[in-house]
Amino acid sequence: MVAKFRNPGLYRAGLYTVYAVALAYAIIWVFRTWYSLDPVFKGEAVLELALFLSPLGFLIGLGSFSYWFRWATGKPTIPEDHSGHGAHSWRDYFKVNTDHKVIGIQYVVTSFVFFFIGGLFAMLMRAELAQPGRQFVDSSTFNGLFSVHASLLIFLFIIPVFAGLANYVLPLMIGAPDMAFPRLNALSFWMLPLGGIMMLLSFLAPGGSFASGWTAYAPLAVTAPEGQVFFTIGVQFAGASSIATALNFLVTIITMRAPGMSFFRMPLLVWANFSTSLLVVIATPFIAVSQFMVFFDRALGFNFFEPAGGGDVLMYQHIFWFYSHPAVYIMMLPGFGIVSEILAVKSRKPIFGYRMMAFSLLAIVVLGFTVWAHHMFVSGMQDWIRVPMMVTTAIIAVPTGIKIFSWLATLWRGVLHLDTPMLFALGFLTMFTLGGISGVMLAIIPVTIHVSDTYFIVAHIHYVLFGGSLFTIFAGVYYWFPKMTGRMYDERLGKIHFWSTFVFFNLTFAPMHVIGIQGMPRRVADYAEQWATWNLMITIASFFLGLSALVFAYNMVASWRGGPKAESNPWRALTLEWQVTSPPPIFNFDAIPTVVGGPYEYGVPGAVHGVLKDAEVPTPVGAAAHGESAGTTATKDEEH
Amino acid sequence: MEAAGISASVALEHHDDHDHHGPPPANRSSRVDSELLGMLLFIISEIMVFGAFFTAYFFIRFVAVGHQWFPFDRYELPVAIAGVNTAILLSSSLTLHWAQLSVKNGNRFGLKAGMLLTSLLGLTFLCIQINEYVHIGFAPQENAQATIFYGLTGLHGAHVFIGLTLLVMVTVRAFRGHFSAEHHHGVEVPGIYWHFVDVMWIVVYTTIYIL
Repeated sequence: MVAKFRNPGLYRAGLYTVYAVALAYAIIWVFRTWYSLDPVFKGEAVLELALFLSPLGFLIGLGSFSYWFRWATGKPTIPEDHSGHGAHSWRDYFKVNTDHKVIGIQYVVTSFVFFFIGGLFAMLMRAELAQPGRQFVDSSTFNGLFSVHASLLIFLFIIPVFAGLANYVLPLMIGAPDMAFPRLNALSFWMLPLGGIMMLLSFLAPGGSFASGWTAYAPLAVTAPEGQVFFTIGVQFAGASSIATALNFLVTIITMRAPGMSFFRMPLLVWANFSTSLLVVIATPFIAVSQFMVFFDRALGFNFFEPAGGGDVLMYQHIFWFYSHPAVYIMMLPGFGIVSEILAVKSRKPIFGYRMMAFSLLAIVVLGFTVWAHHMFVSGMQDWIRVPMMVTTAIIAVPTGIKIFSWLATLWRGVLHLDTPMLFALGFLTMFTLGGISGVMLAIIPVTIHVSDTYFIVAHIHYVLFGGSLFTIFAGVYYWFPKMTGRMYDERLGKIHFWSTFVFFNLTFAPMHVIGIQGMPRRVADYAEQWATWNLMITIASFFLGLSALVFAYNMVASWRGGPKAESNPWRALTLEWQVTSPPPIFNFDAIPTVVGGPYEYGVPGAVHGVLKDAEVPTPVGAAAHGESAGTTATKDEEH
Repeated sequence: MEAAGISASVALEHHDDHDHHGPPPANRSSRVDSELLGMLLFIISEIMVFGAFFTAYFFIRFVAVGHQWFPFDRYELPVAIAGVNTAILLSSSLTLHWAQLSVKNGNRFGLKAGMLLTSLLGLTFLCIQINEYVHIGFAPQENAQATIFYGLTGLHGAHVFIGLTLLVMVTVRAFRGHFSAEHHHGVEVPGIYWHFVDVMWIVVYTTIYIL
């Protein structure tokens, strides 16, 4: 028993968390006695410090830093014996593991846990909104529900689940044995659940959970009850996690590609994660800083956002949206990558306009930084910023449009295999286009002024994030499920899941456009009598939408436990991850494969993407053969 | 360190036919070293952190209602003392460079002395900075100008502290006999971070104190 608390693991993590809380008490005691402040143990001060320290204590206890501590003090480091590679039982998923495949599954499962919690909050909100007046929760609890709903689904679901899927498949796709920094990879995963748990714990805070929305605008967030700091600090951990992962992806993609895998032979999922990671590395510090400023204003009485002291309130919105608009693309670009994979494989055709697909991703990265103030058209900022932002916002629809039309051209005259991943990919294509159209409407200043803070915005964001991102996530999970688990999912349940999601998604969110244009305000627990019928309908549809997610959960759990064994390449895909067994061998490849052609040459006779060498015989003759096939495929590429 | 670890374990194993004890060595698809690249990307992130604070600086100095800047009323900044402090920090970059050159040439004394000097100069900078806070005569709670002064210099101070922690680690390792003319990554990569902290200080000093 003592050993359990001495060796790295969850027990010691719990113990160190307690130590960290004690340390927070001690530090506060020392400082407040020193400055002879009264009371000595101010609850807020202890809580705020403990929220910073306890996750660090947890991570140290878990053993995330063990290697680095030894390195820093010059002690001999324990060489990696790879005994931690692979997961042999479910317990291995609760340890610090440096295997990217284990981390990928940890990420995906954790994010889906938060997905179901966040979805549950949405159900509670819809229950409250079923009728005008007060049903189940009071208005401040309602504010807390939608704030935590949005924060969890954005920071703990969409962003990390993409990181998780990419963590699993990206090193396989580029022919790498692991990520560039496996220990950093493990650390960035373990920071994530801490951020999420912190946001959930805010419900226990005096005054209820944070209720200022996921945007946490400044004067409100500075004066809100104590629950707000759970968001302020929780976001720091989620953000640090995504910066570290993004950095890891970038280094992996740049330095660890297989021989022959030039940038323009990378699958588009790799391109998408490359672009996303650039956005994360550049933009995420802005939200970290915006929350630090709120924290300092709250905790220490600084004047960043205090107009009386010469601060600027709108500055918060500028800094926040300078992250949070690119964040919209952080939540979308990896989905573009997933859909590009699936559409090419399932229509048995090369992706249309491969290079334009890659360049449009980069164009979105660049343009994504020039549109932030379109979230602030009604904020009272300087008038002259509005029109340029309107123009850039309209322009950013162009690279996205290029992608939509390229996908359509990929489908054109293809042999479509309408199974679950493909259905979700097609569902994405239609729903995201609708969300994109309402997005262009919202770019137009007069329209925004009319529908600002109404359900039109709610409809738009759910068409983009649910009909867009979530559909691609479902598509990706179904598509790589055989690879990740070694089992096939139940196709019939998958189709039921798709159709119920697709139908009830539209029944839930399409009417919101109408009530939004009529002026029903969002983020309010009550509404006027005239919208009662629409809202009742939306609520009923949303409950069925919630049930459809349970079909998915059942399918995943049951198929993982007892689904039929999957073959290594059930989709007849060319990309490298499908050329190894399902699930992949413990070190991915016996020897690093050689890439000799593009990743999407479906339907092209004799096309080869990668050649897997056997470990034993890298003879000169074989090498020459590879060189030759590289030459022929290259010419084929040109013809194409 | 990572790449070195992987290649070392693979070199030991020599392709056993039946069983692998480690992953195959990754193909190096770029001449850029992975740790170096990681540090550069991290520095991009750090620049954006400073960028967000400079956004706040910009708004408070030029946009906010009734904006004004140091010196005003009784609020003045000790430009000269901070200038001396700037010189101290910049000279620490030189001593660090000396340490890095020494380790490349196999001069262990130069490495140890250079690292020790750099750490001490960094520590001096931090102490003078804290002393400046103590004697400056205003608190961040008083107005937004004071807030952004403490905000930016404090943010930079925090980075000096992080950089100093890295330098101390390198110094400890240097005294314990690590690093050689062939393996000096552990000196180089934290060194880049320290140079970045120095360059950032020039920007902070110029914008806050001089302009």
